Order: sequence, then structure tokens, then C-alpha cells
Amino acid sequence: MAEIIRTYKKHEGGRYFNRELSWIAFNERVLSESLRRDVPLLERLRFLCIVASNFDEFFMVRVASLKRQIRTGRRVHCPSGMSAEEQLREISLRVREIVKTKYECLLDDILPQLAEAGLVLKAPETYSQTQKKFLEELFQEEVFPVLTPVRCELGKPLPYTGNLRLHAAFLLRPLQGEDFLVPETGAEALAIVQIPAGIPRILYLPETRGTVSFALLEHVIRDHAAQLFPGYEITEDMFFRVTRDADLGVDEERDEDFVEAMEQVLESREHSMAIRMSINKSTGRLREMLTDALALNSSEVYMKTDPMDLSTFMELVDLPGFDHLRYEKWKPQDSPYLPEESSIWDALKKRDVLLHHPFESFAPVVRLVREAATDPSVLAIKMTLYRTSGSSPLVQALEVAAENGKQVTVLVELKARFDEEQNIEWAQRLERAGVIVVYGIVRLKVHAKAILIIRREEKGVTRYVHLGTGNYNDKTARVYTDLGFMTTQDELAYEIGLFFNSITGYSAIPALSKLVMAPTALKSRLLQMIDREAQRSTPENPGRIIAKINSLADPEVIEALYNASARGVQISLIIRGICMLVPGVPGMSENIAVTSVVGRYLEHSRIYFFHNGGAGEYYCGSADLMPRNLERRVELLFPIENPDLQKRIKSILETYLADNSQSHALRPDGVYVRRESESGEVSVGSQSVLYEAACNRASIAAPVNRKEFSVRRKPPQAKRLRR
Amino acid sequence: MEKKKTLIAPKIVAVVDIGSTAIRIVIAEIDEKGDWKRLDRATKPVPLGRDVFMSGHLTRETMLQAIRILSGFLEMLSGWHIGPRDVRVIATSAIREAKNRDTFVDRVFIRTGLRINIIEGVEENHLTYLAVQHAVHDMPGPFTRSSSLIIEVGGGTTEVMLLDRGNMVAAHSFRIGTVRIEQQVRPRWESNTQMEGYLRENLRGTLEIMNTELRLARVHYFVAVGGDARLAAARAGTKEAEHYWIIEKADFAGFLAQLAELSVDEIVTQLGVTYNEAEGLYPALVIYNLFLEATGARQLIVPDVSIREGMLVSFALGNTSDVRAELYGQVVTSAKSLGRKFHYDEKHAIHVAKLALAFFDQFQNDHGLEHHARLLMEVAAILHDIGNFVRSSGHHKHGQYIVANSEIFGLSREDIRIISNVVRYHRKSMPLASHPSFVSLRQEQRLIVLKLAAMLRVADGLDRSHQQRVQTFRLEVAEGDLLVDCTHQGDISVERYGMAVKALMFEEVFGYHVVIT
Repeated sequence: MAEIIRTYKKHEGGRYFNRELSWIAFNERVLSESLRRDVPLLERLRFLCIVASNFDEFFMVRVASLKRQIRTGRRVHCPSGMSAEEQLREISLRVREIVKTKYECLLDDILPQLAEAGLVLKAPETYSQTQKKFLEELFQEEVFPVLTPVRCELGKPLPYTGNLRLHAAFLLRPLQGEDFLVPETGAEALAIVQIPAGIPRILYLPETRGTVSFALLEHVIRDHAAQLFPGYEITEDMFFRVTRDADLGVDEERDEDFVEAMEQVLESREHSMAIRMSINKSTGRLREMLTDALALNSSEVYMKTDPMDLSTFMELVDLPGFDHLRYEKWKPQDSPYLPEESSIWDALKKRDVLLHHPFESFAPVVRLVREAATDPSVLAIKMTLYRTSGSSPLVQALEVAAENGKQVTVLVELKARFDEEQNIEWAQRLERAGVIVVYGIVRLKVHAKAILIIRREEKGVTRYVHLGTGNYNDKTARVYTDLGFMTTQDELAYEIGLFFNSITGYSAIPALSKLVMAPTALKSRLLQMIDREAQRSTPENPGRIIAKINSLADPEVIEALYNASARGVQISLIIRGICMLVPGVPGMSENIAVTSVVGRYLEHSRIYFFHNGGAGEYYCGSADLMPRNLERRVELLFPIENPDLQKRIKSILETYLADNSQSHALRPDGVYVRRESESGEVSVGSQSVLYEAACNRASIAAPVNRKEFSVRRKPPQAKRLRR
Repeated sequence: MEKKKTLIAPKIVAVVDIGSTAIRIVIAEIDEKGDWKRLDRATKPVPLGRDVFMSGHLTRETMLQAIRILSGFLEMLSGWHIGPRDVRVIATSAIREAKNRDTFVDRVFIRTGLRINIIEGVEENHLTYLAVQHAVHDMPGPFTRSSSLIIEVGGGTTEVMLLDRGNMVAAHSFRIGTVRIEQQVRPRWESNTQMEGYLRENLRGTLEIMNTELRLARVHYFVAVGGDARLAAARAGTKEAEHYWIIEKADFAGFLAQLAELSVDEIVTQLGVTYNEAEGLYPALVIYNLFLEATGARQLIVPDVSIREGMLVSFALGNTSDVRAELYGQVVTSAKSLGRKFHYDEKHAIHVAKLALAFFDQFQNDHGLEHHARLLMEVAAILHDIGNFVRSSGHHKHGQYIVANSEIFGLSREDIRIISNVVRYHRKSMPLASHPSFVSLRQEQRLIVLKLAAMLRVADGLDRSHQQRVQTFRLEVAEGDLLVDCTHQGDISVERYGMAVKALMFEEVFGYHVVIT
């Protein structure tokens, strides 16, 4: 514990926590879920996999950026006052501890228990004869033909080792008496083999006697490596995986051929500066040779135990047949206000609808776009797409709409990191279908989530709007908690139209009165609302701010919150990830409390509440409180003005604040402490409470004109008729 | 069988406005009653005015930029399924004054299919007036009880309308605007105070002339139209109703004083506006303020409309509507106000106008002119003797000059040219090939001039004595003769005598011999 305190309270009297270390702390909280004995086994494995892939991204982007700062001398000031070197040092220390905890948990706890439950990772020495034969055949027929061993010359740069790709390295020595095969007699050689990505890494084995057993591809390759190097003896072997700088900017000056520019960035990501090397053996000469060849220093080399690269273990988490090792399924509920059997247009004209995913189904959003695609009265569909897939039903519906002669305008954010490749592919497909595709905005990422459907009805034009806090991605909508708001309010729809005109290039950036847009107005508006709360706060009637966000990293916003706290405003922040604000410090932030919820769903919704002297204001949107969101992204915050929906949002916020089962509280010293229900207190898991609420809503307000009742009973068990 | 009333879905129309700092589009839904709802809008800055007010020409780059913007708007139009019939494209001073405007208009048409309609300053007035009326129609204490001034400061021109108890007494278009100031004058001064002094000096004469048209001190309603006024309103005013803000005079002065201290860059950051918006803001507000100070108004009314909404209203209206009739009335009032300025014989003028209109209406089948020509007839009749202000001898020529160089609310430059020619030919010589102002008209315009002048001569002849003796008449055609059957008071021998001369042109144009019976 003492170690942690030193890390976060580096500067006495510091006003901010370090951003990177706060991010690491978030992953510690995720990791702590995988250590929980009351969490089902495969879910614990899932949390481990998530942590692993989170860190991959962290190294590619954040650590790379720190390293580049040192290299180029172009330093970015860190509000916590830590230099880039200090940050790298602390990161390296923290990550080593996390790796240690992670592997202890995996090897000593999760894998043995999984084996007991019938899911077995077989070590090569335990393969049965049949299994050996099976793997031998597999190697000869499928693996061997695609392997490309590369011999490297010592002291020369390494050949291509890609980014995040698992490799095997071998140290070779020519066999005695066969040196006619080798040009340089007696020389040692280094050879590298990429573990092919086209073959599944997890190989399910035959003859398992009621269990599911699997081997790992890299083990099979290692064990057959002798065949790859005839005439040589393998004296040493090691697996390694290199992480590279992925934070490469695309040339923003290129607009018409931006897609091509983006493709070049993707290409260069494979060859950029190495940031980290993970290895599975700490002894021997290979480690040293590779470290030198990649120009890394020892603090950038991370020792992992076998198996490496946990991110690919996600496949096991969802393996069919092991439901008892997973959370009980929560079926996303239908919204009672959008019954399948009546027109979505009529329903939305009647009332605004708020959807809370994934407690409530994402299907109505897909339905909205699908119906618009074929509805003869619909003139146009406009939407933003940030992270989605080509197989997404939304993308398909948009294609259909364009083929049906609707004007379809889609803003595709190519710069959504790590999704670039697939974005390019389906964006071009949409373009071919006749969709107007806007490939983002120069120097800004479009992060706002909005759909506008223009429908010409008998009484005139009606516009249907969907605004969300999460991406239009039906897959992530099953695991990210997000809010979606559907409305036909004229004023809001008009402003969404203006928003689209500006991001489509038709118009200069408009002044908006309902919506708040970044980067133009959002930050100043937030600061103004925080300040207003501070101004109005009196001891009798203190101000109140509640925000639920993913990250808080903007010093100006933090200072405004400190100021509001000093004026007596009671501030509750529910922040999943990074929080640079130091809460609970007398004289600075004693009225601010920060909690973080980590549960089976990834908390993602962004909600802002301001007491505003009794006339409470509620906003939802796409923006977190980070400089990049407020200054370098196009984001939207939208007001919720309907009193019923305000009530619902209030209760959502209260549920999160009351959580004492999935939540941590942030202490002034930077330590997150798990909140536990005290004796006599009810244990509140916010996500399960919210799921129950969704179920209740769905059952209470069931529409009357159903064709049949949904009956609650066990399935009929009657005996079969006898003749 | 009773006709079933079918519900007609409101029509969606668009107005594109090519101004001196930006090109804008507004898309609206118009119902049968002429009410409209704004559905969509877009604005893209483009420095048309900067080009034209500096060099007189639109540069190639600016033209390309404009065409790119219009292509974007075309995409918007197609999204709304708006066909070419439901789009109006108007261009104001920047394009109007560009020496290569024809090339521009043609290039735009070829590239986009959009037909640009270049409108005149006074016509701009008329559209603004329509828009303002729509915006403030629910204002307590309507225009009709007091005097009001409507002003729009644009990039190239400033439009001013004066209304006396709701009646248009004058409409002006001054060649002073924010872009023009920026381009032509700014280098000459160093501080904002100097600029204000310069503008004040420049407008002094203008305000004096306006004061003769309407006592400015009696103006209670000061309506400020335009983007700069709206910007000020959003910051220093309060939104009083759906379509307008009110700014108290003191608040406006305070806001102006605050701006005077700021550079354009500071305005951008402190007010959160674009550079394009910030650039002309201060000079525009200074101009508003100079006019405001000349009036007795205690506040500014800032409607959220512009010439584009005026165009929408005019779109929405047929020729028969009340608004159209009211507009017609405003044009006539404005013409009379011009007459008064030149001390015309009002009784004679109005009487001749009445006779001329009666003639126009009864003779409709033979002259075959459209409704708009009737308005030109009325204005020409009102102003036919205005040249007497200079000298009785040759007053038709003086009159032509005065009219050609005046502004009449609601009439375009083309209209004014026709009217000035009708005034020219209401006596003496018929048009000749050596008269350049006649020859330069298009053929159909020359025909209108001929027909109107011929009828005006007869009507004028019927009041030769300036005594309004002929009250009404009936026209009857009998074998090549046009018989004018008059009811009259007193002796009309002067009129009878005069007709012989006055009717020569009529005979020439229509082929009838005019006989007073």
C-alpha cells in the first residue's frame, strides 16, 4: 500500500493526479474483479483478457507518446508535475506488479479451477499419443506450409516483427558434420518465426474424456521447430511480442485522398518505433539479442510466463457449454413505449423515449434506421458512425436506404483508433451504394452520436432524432452502458440538422441554443454551468453537481470544480476511468466525492446534472471531460427537458451513487477503496438494480393490444398422450 | 357532388442568398395560408464583397469557392427533394456591383443549374420589410400607431425604410456597408474612435435628408435587421417573442463601448464568434447606433429574420393576398412621399393617377398588360409632373431625371427605369432612336413605356385644368374611335381642347382616335 501512496502523491500539495497512473489504477480495479471469488470463473478470465488488451493499447498510444517526448525533446507539460522519465519509470514499476498479479491469478487460480471444471490447457508434456499424432498432422498439413522462418544477422536490424504479433525466436548452431549446408562454418544464427495469425491459436484436442482440452499453436510450432532448420541445432528458444508506436498522425492536409493517407498510416504502424517487448524467458542470450536489435532498454522488456498474449483468450470466455461459469444472462428488455406492433413513427410522435442500454435493448435504434430505409415518406437519413462494423445491421440498413433513393449522409470517423482498417472497407462499400460519405473533419475527430431522419408526412415534415452517449454499434451496445434519447422535438431536430450541415461541409459552425457542441462551445458552457452553481450556492441551499463520466482530465474543469467545492457546492462524480481531480482535500475539494463503478458491463454513459437553484438541468452526451474531448473532438451534449425522463435519469444517478458492491471510492491519497455494504446495510449493485428496473418497466407498461400474453410459468410438463 | 377537400401537404421551398460575406440557404415549409416554418439553414463564408468593393471584380478563386458552396447546397436541396421550381437564388450588392457579374451568373448556372436573380437595393428593402412584418406582427402597440425606422446594415449597402404610422414614406439604399468600410476606409484611420467620427461625418447629410422625409425624433420603433444586430441581440438583448429580441438603448451603447476596446481577434475569442462574423461587427453596430441616436427610440427591435425570410414570404404569397395589397399600398405611399419632397401638385397628381388607373382597367383587353404594369402606371401618374420642381419648361425631362435617380420602396431599378421613361413621354416628343434611355430598354419594356405613356397622356389631358373636373368616365369603342363618356363638374372645354394634342400618341400606339363625348 505504501508503494501506491508514493506513486500518486508524488508532489506534496499537488492539485492533480497523474493521468497515466490514474489510468493504470482503473485497470487495477478491473483486475480486482478477476480476483474476486464471488465472480464466475470465465468472467474472471474475461476481466484478465480485458486488462491485457487495455495495456496493449496503453503502450501503443500513451507510453509511445511519453517515449517520443523524450526522444524528440518536444515535451508536453503534465499537470501533475511529473516528467516523462518519471512517468515511464512509475508506469514500468506498476505494470510489472500488475503482470505479476495477473499471472499469479491465471496460473494459480483460474486455470487450475477451469481444468477442474473441464476446460483444460494442456502442457506439451501431458499430450496423449493420439493428441501428439493429431498435432503432428496438423503441423505438417496446415502450419508448416505457411511458416516463414527468417534468419537474422547479428548486429543488423531485425526483420519485420510487426505490432502485437506473437513470434518465436530460436538460437541456432550448425550441426557437426553437416556444415556443407552452412556457408559460414560454426557461426551462431538467430532465426525468427511469426506465429501465423491465420490459424487459430487455440487448438482443441481430441480424446479428452469429457473435458474440453486445448493446446496452443505456438507450443506446437516450437516443438516442431527442428524441422524448420535442417542442419542446425536449436540451442535456445523464446516467444516474444513487440508493441509499437501506434500514435501516428495522419497527414491532415490531404482531404480528397484522405482514405489513402489513412491506409499509409496503418501500413507504417507495423514498422514504427518499438515500445515494449514481452517475453516468456528471462534467461539465455535471446533476450539480450532481441532487446538490442529492437533498440529497447531493459525497463521496456516485460517478462511474462507462458501463455503469452492473454487478449486472444477471450475466445475461451465465450466458449459454448460453460454457461455455469459465466454470469447469469440478462436479456435486454424491450422499451414499453416502442411496441413492435405499432408504428415507430406514431410512437415517437407521442412521446420522447429514453433507452438505457444494455439493460434495455438496442433493437429500437436498429429498427428506426431499418424502417426509415424502406419507408416511402422518408426523404433523408443522416448519421454519425464512429466505431461500428461492416456487418452491422445499421450499415446494411443505410445501404438499403441509399438504394431506395433516400439521401443518406454518413459521417465515418476513419480516425477511430485501431478500427481504421475495417472502417475504410465498409465506408467505401457505402459510398458505392450511393451514400454520401464524409470521411471526418480535418484535425478533429467526430465523436458525437446522432441520427436524423427526415420524414415528409401529411401535416408537414417531421424529424426523428436519436442522440446517444454510445457508438452506433449493436455489438458494444450489449456490453457498454449507454443512454439513447429519441425525440421529434422540433427545436432539437432543427439544431441537429444544423449540426449535420456543419459536419457535412454545407455550413459554417452554427450557434446553437439547445445543443452544446464541442469544440466550439462545450467547454466554456460547462465552465459557465459549474460557475453558475458556485455563484448560487448558499449554506441554506447548497449547489449540487452530479456527473457520470468515463474520464476527468481537464485541468480547467477540475479547477472550476475545486472552486465550486470551496463555495459549498456538493459534487458527486462517478468516473469509471481516469480521474486527475484530487477529492476530499480540506480547503480544496472537501465537498467533492469520486466513485468508480466497474461491473459486468463497461460503464460508458455520460450524464451531467446541475441543481441550478431548483430548476435542475440534465444533459447527456458523448463528451468526457478530457482536453481531447473538449478541444479536439466534435462532441454533442443534449438537454433532457421532459420531467418524466429527468426523474428517470435522476434515479439512475442515485443508483450509481448508492452502489456498494461494484464500486470503489477514490481517496485523497489516490488509492481506490472498494465500497462494501456495512452490517445492516443492503448491498446495492448498481447494474443489477438498473436491470431490475428495466424488467419492471417492461412488464408494467406492457401494451394492451398484444396478440398473446407473456405468461410467467414453467414450461408445460404434461405427459405424452397414450394411445 | 361536393368537392372533397384534400389536405395538401405543405410545400418545401428554399431561398439561397449570395451576400457580400457569405452564401446562405434557408429551407422552409410553407402552407396554403402563407405561414412558414424554417426547416434547415446553412451559411458558408466567402469574400465576394472583399473582391468587388476593392477591385470591382470577382476573382477566379472566389467564384470557384462560391460554386463549391452552391454545390453543397444542391446536395441539401436534393436531400429535401426540392426541385428547381421551388428554389430562389438571390444576389445582392457584391454581385450587383461586380463588373464580371454576367460571367459569374452564367458559370453558376452552367455548373449548378441555379438561376441567380440579382436584386436591387430597394427591392432588398421590400423583402426585408416583408420579413420584418412577419417577425413582429404580434408586437404590442403595432407599427401603425407610431413612426418607425427599419434598417439593415449589410456588407455592401445599408438599407433604410421610414414608416409614418405604418406608411412607407421613404426607402433608401446607401452604399455604405461593413465590408466596404473594411476594404476602402479602414486603412485611413487608426482607432475605433476615428472610425466612428468618420462614419458620423459621412452619415450627417443622409440623416438630414431623412429628417425632411420623416421627423426622426418622432420615430419610436427602431428595427435593426441583420446578422450583426442579431449577434448583439443574443448578447445584450432579451428575447421578447418567438421572432425578435429587444435591446435597451443603454445596453446597446454599453455593448458597443465594450467592443470598441477589443481587437477582431479578441472579439473572436471573447464572444465565441467566427472571424468572419467578428470582422464587420463593430462598424455595423456603429452604423446602427448613429441612426438610433438620430431617432427618439429607446430600444432596438431585432427580428430573427433577413432578406431570405422576406423571399420566403413573397414565395408564399399569391398576387391577391392582403400582404401583397398592403405592399402595393406602401409603394404608392413611397411615391407620394417622393412627390411631396419635390412639392408636386398633389391633388392633380392623385387625380391623374385615379383617371389613369380607371383607363388602365377599362382598357385592359386592348393593352393586355400585366398587373405589375398597373402599379407602374399609378406611380408614373403620381410623379408625372415632378419635374416642375426644377422648371416648368421641359419638366418631363427634369422629371425623368429625378425619378431615375430616386428610390421608391418596393420597386426594382428596372421598374424605376420604366417609370422614368413614362414620365419622360407623358408630353411632347414621342420616343426616338436618339433617346438613349429609351433605346437601352428591352423591347418588352419599351412597349410597356409606350402603352403606359399613351394612356397617361389621355388621363393627364382629362385634368388639363388641374381642377379635377372630370370625375369618372366610361370608355366605348366605335369604329376606330375611342369614346370617353365623362361625368364632370363645370366646364371641361379646356380638357376637350387639350385632348386633340394629348391623344396623338394614343392614336399612334393603339390606333384609336380619342373623342370626349
